[in-house]
Amino acid sequence: MPEVNPSGTTTRGDTTRTAALLVLCLAILAIAIGYAAAFRQNGAPVWAPWLLALGIPISLGAIMTLGAARGRTGIGPLKLPFLFVVAVLAIGFCAALALPATESPLSKLWLGLPARAAVVIYGIGLLPIVVLPVVYALTFETQTLSAEDVERVRAMGRENRERASLGSNVSDRELSE
Amino acid sequence: MIQLSTPAALLQVALPSAAQPAVIAVGVLYFSVVVAISVWAARRTRTASDFFVAGKGIGLVALTIASVSVSVSGFAFIGGPGFIYAVGLGAMYIVLPAAVTNVMGAWVLAKRMRLLGEARNLITIPDAIGARYRSPAAQGLAAVAMLVGIVGYMATNALAMGVVIDSIFGVGLGWGIWIGMGVTLAYSASGGILAGIYNDVFQGMLMAAASVLVFLFVLGYGGGLGEISRTILAHDPTFLGPWGKLTPLAALSFFFVFSMGSLGQPQAVHKYYMLRDPLQLKWYPLLKTLGLVLVLLLYFSVGVGVKAFVLDGRLPPLPSPDQATPSLLLNVTPIILAALVFSGVAAATMSAANSFINIGAAIVTHDLPIAFGRRVRNELAWGRSITVLIAIAAAITAQRSGTMVAFLGIFGWGLCASTLVPALAVGLNWQGATRAGAIASIATGLVVTLALETAAYRKAFTFPAGVTASAVAMVASFLVFFLVSWVTRRAAPLELDPDVQLVMEL
Repeated sequence: MPEVNPSGTTTRGDTTRTAALLVLCLAILAIAIGYAAAFRQNGAPVWAPWLLALGIPISLGAIMTLGAARGRTGIGPLKLPFLFVVAVLAIGFCAALALPATESPLSKLWLGLPARAAVVIYGIGLLPIVVLPVVYALTFETQTLSAEDVERVRAMGRENRERASLGSNVSDRELSE
Repeated sequence: MIQLSTPAALLQVALPSAAQPAVIAVGVLYFSVVVAISVWAARRTRTASDFFVAGKGIGLVALTIASVSVSVSGFAFIGGPGFIYAVGLGAMYIVLPAAVTNVMGAWVLAKRMRLLGEARNLITIPDAIGARYRSPAAQGLAAVAMLVGIVGYMATNALAMGVVIDSIFGVGLGWGIWIGMGVTLAYSASGGILAGIYNDVFQGMLMAAASVLVFLFVLGYGGGLGEISRTILAHDPTFLGPWGKLTPLAALSFFFVFSMGSLGQPQAVHKYYMLRDPLQLKWYPLLKTLGLVLVLLLYFSVGVGVKAFVLDGRLPPLPSPDQATPSLLLNVTPIILAALVFSGVAAATMSAANSFINIGAAIVTHDLPIAFGRRVRNELAWGRSITVLIAIAAAITAQRSGTMVAFLGIFGWGLCASTLVPALAVGLNWQGATRAGAIASIATGLVVTLALETAAYRKAFTFPAGVTASAVAMVASFLVFFLVSWVTRRAAPLELDPDVQLVMEL
């Protein structure tokens, strides 16, 4: 079991969670700066949406990493799928911001949509579905939850209940005395 | 560029009358099935655990369909397609997060909440916050925040039910609200969440069937997505731009609030407690994501399709964007498909309302007494009574002006997101988070959301383009959570019970 150090902020060897927290904090800060910039009298500067376009995928990747990290083993085989999804979202948003607006009746269509719309709908909206839930299922026993994990928690739950019922018996006796 | 702080939460305007024999017949059939399921569930509800978390005994498929059903409201069928019709593809940023939110919720919350339920017999979300920080105060504050958010959600769903029932049966909006709430209340109070879950399963299947059929119909009628796009590009190319007619900041804001904010939505998070076997979580995100994609096909296809059909003259111009779905159904589709979709909309609003009623009753009878150091003796009886009171309060609130109800609905989502995401989603995965950080974060989310939304509603303040109160409140709540937890970091190890620590380390 990892040890909690006196500062209480990290566990020894748990660098994955520490890094994920730091990245989450920085990404949220970037999003906050993007919003704050929009309050300027001249309106949002051109760089404000870019902060969100990068901050949102990174914050989602960071919080998923925080949730998926397991003791000292970190996120193991999930590194690549997480990186892939963060990259897909970031590239999708940035492409939508950077590519010139050329939509017209003569535009080439990609699966029925003009290029920039196709990047958003199929890239951001569908690609992560093909990867993340499948990876979650395939790594479930090793990375998320095993029968032994459930049994450990159930055993602790039984101890809790026994302790609670013992405590209530003692206080009942004390009251009757 | 159109600036919208938040889309209209649900149906706020009257729909055209659909009171035709086929629509009424399907509507009556739909309500009959709901009643039958409710009678069956009421006979099986004997304890508070049965009533609030279905005795933690729901199977994977049923729970997945039910979760899909409560995750979408009438907005996905009426307001959403109307929003796309108005602003183009920018409106898709509300539903695009569904590609990541379910699996993100599974990694961040599902396992730990389900295991906490196993170790501590927890039945509510504030229960989890109370256990994590060993703090009745944090539990009580989270309960208050959720209750305020649920009032908003309930009022908008009650109004939406009234609008749909009036459209199907032609009974008037007032009676529509009371009939809808009456039926929902009947199964909520008698069968609790068990009736809710199995009604959600029926309603979810109905919604998915209606959505897929409408999607296929629109593609066939429009000659394929390519032809639909060509028609739109010839008249209004901005509509199919990556942000539609929204600013990039506004579209990205939607994505942020509806992705990160999903981790604080009680109707979805509460479901994690109910799964019979924690190991069944393995397939939950995949099944739920696929289910959501099916239900959301209508959102995209009707919004884009109706735009093309109006532009090429096959449909008359719409009096308001919310008429996109009704106009398609009543002018073009076979009447039986229209009937199915109208029942699907009723199903969507009723399943959402039931879920919120149940969660609200659990807060009042379970979490708030714990926050004041008391336990209610008969939680089942009190749960049923409070369910009736919440439903009546929501129906009365829904009779008020649409603007007021829309205001309540708008901050429902934002309030739950800003108050719960840092303390719950980050807190359950970071042993350095502290009780003070959680309380400060929940209070910040509550105060900032209420202050900004009220100021905007009273027109005392206008947000810059693309900035929403929900997003600002959530960001502020996160930063306060990190800062206060860091300042009070020495207290963190002392606030963690061994069983909670075990659950957090697994």
